[in-house]
Amino acid sequence: MVYTQKCVYGIAVLFYISIQLKEEGGITLKVIEADNLSKTFRIKQKEKGMAGSIKSVFRPQTKEIHAVDQVSFSVEEGEMLAFIGPNGAGKSTTIKMLTGILYPDGGRAQILGIDPVKKRKQLCYQIGTVFGQKEQLWAHLTPYDNFRFFGAIYDIPDSETERRIQEFSDIFELGAFINTPVRSLSLGQRIRCEIVASLLHKPRVLFLDEPTIGLDPVVKDHIRSLIKQMNRELHTTIFLTSHDVGDIEKLCKRIMIVNAGQIVLDESMEHLKYHYLNKKIIEMKLSNHTPLPDLPGLTVLKEKNGQVRLEVDTAVMKINDALRFIDAEQAEDITISNVPLENIIMEIYRSENRVQVP
Amino acid sequence: MSRMLKKYTVIYKSVLIENLQYMFNIAMGFISYFIMCFVFIKLWNYIYADPGDLIAGYTKEQMIWYVMITEMVWFGARSSTITRQVSSDIRGGNIAYLMNKPYHYTLYILAKYTGEWSIQLPMYALLATVMGVTMIGSLPGFRPVTLLASVPCVILGVTVNAVFKLCISLLSFWIEDSAPFQWIYDKLILVMGTLFPIEIFPGALQFLFKLTPIYTVCYGPAKLIVDFSAEKCAEILLTQLLYLCAGLLLMFFIYGKGVRKLYVNGG
Repeated sequence: MVYTQKCVYGIAVLFYISIQLKEEGGITLKVIEADNLSKTFRIKQKEKGMAGSIKSVFRPQTKEIHAVDQVSFSVEEGEMLAFIGPNGAGKSTTIKMLTGILYPDGGRAQILGIDPVKKRKQLCYQIGTVFGQKEQLWAHLTPYDNFRFFGAIYDIPDSETERRIQEFSDIFELGAFINTPVRSLSLGQRIRCEIVASLLHKPRVLFLDEPTIGLDPVVKDHIRSLIKQMNRELHTTIFLTSHDVGDIEKLCKRIMIVNAGQIVLDESMEHLKYHYLNKKIIEMKLSNHTPLPDLPGLTVLKEKNGQVRLEVDTAVMKINDALRFIDAEQAEDITISNVPLENIIMEIYRSENRVQVP
Repeated sequence: MSRMLKKYTVIYKSVLIENLQYMFNIAMGFISYFIMCFVFIKLWNYIYADPGDLIAGYTKEQMIWYVMITEMVWFGARSSTITRQVSSDIRGGNIAYLMNKPYHYTLYILAKYTGEWSIQLPMYALLATVMGVTMIGSLPGFRPVTLLASVPCVILGVTVNAVFKLCISLLSFWIEDSAPFQWIYDKLILVMGTLFPIEIFPGALQFLFKLTPIYTVCYGPAKLIVDFSAEKCAEILLTQLLYLCAGLLLMFFIYGKGVRKLYVNGG
């Protein structure tokens, strides 16, 4: 009896300490853990021409591609992480392994303590996925019918599905088109519905693969605000893949860059901005030939027939100052943009000072 | 179990809602069915010189009704969902986006397919009845009450066929194109029991045909409608159930093995 009392007392104390630690931010739950995750694909090869085709029948050749090569990282609950990289870097393969679609050749992954390989179905209830280039909604059904469908698929009671449809319809402003067949919706409206369909079962982790692809800037901004709101209110962990710097800048506090199947950078957004996104490109068409000043932080990338392309390092020089120095009043046309993401990725990849992944 | 059933019922209902919009498109297929049946009516009318003749134990009316029923099942149950769609899902990588939902991909496809033929097949049944009654007259010795046993046989036959066709489509995990295998399977079904009843073939072949699942797809249900007997019904139902179990086991086995070999590029 005394022993039982001691045990109960001990458990209670541990429970109290864990709550206190969590409230103080001392405990952070790792929702995604990848440990030396690897995936190799065998791609068929064929020599050119008819002879090559015949040869490949009798002696098929394959080439091994290490799509993901011993990748390790972890993501904490409520984090918004950008997982980016050039095409073929291994982003989607990593997501597909994390969601249990692909089986890793090596290493292991755990999402909320669940092994995606062994318990994919169990994991489905805890995660949501939005693939901007793929439709998961049934085109001939209305968003409402689709949501009812997803509610049933995820074993949500009908009354609760109704309540959630109403809730998300208000947040994502779907009222005007909730009864219009999906095939008749605009891309922006469809993406909003896709996100709602992925959120209906209230997943703890949401994988977003290029959610704003093909959207106009206004809709993009709207979608980003909604994702932010969702993260804030539902505390959903966001694992975002995008080629859009805007998505990454406005949504994520942490960025992970993957290239050739390996993580080449894992940093906070602030650190990346300070080191890499502080460069702006100014493209101008000048009416008169104006000599360009030679100033620190200002690099002339191209100059031909009045067309000028400059790179401004905003850590050294403000963009306003740069425009003043180059006499922007002479400009017939002017465009200011970020350094393309691909350039940043290439720059990071080429850098010798690769950040070691913890 | 009930939650699982509800899930697949919802998939079935969603396809049903979707396909109700395409009833006119389905009706366009009636033209092919009409031509096919018309040719066979003329053919059998020519073969049966005397109306009282018996060929392989079938009267002329029974034989024509038999072909019309098997063709009805053939046309009413055809769909690209269990063939081309599955193959292209696997080869194109779309399966990746269907797998990460809390249902089994193969059962999801079967539920979708069932939703499709649930509209098609009754439409063809109606057409077959109207055509048969107007062009050949009523089926001799037919008792409507036997439909209570024959209709479940038709449903089971269509499901057995779907499971085996799905097994062939799942081979796309290993091979580039499963269409040639589908073609061979379809032609076997067409010859073994669709265009001609099994009794027409020599005894040794009949025995061989009865060992295949194809025997239960078209022949079994049609035979019961044109010439019902309780023993035959029990035999066909039992065979269908056995093949359904074996087919499902094979389907889950192939899927389980194949999904580990899944190659989804890019995204």
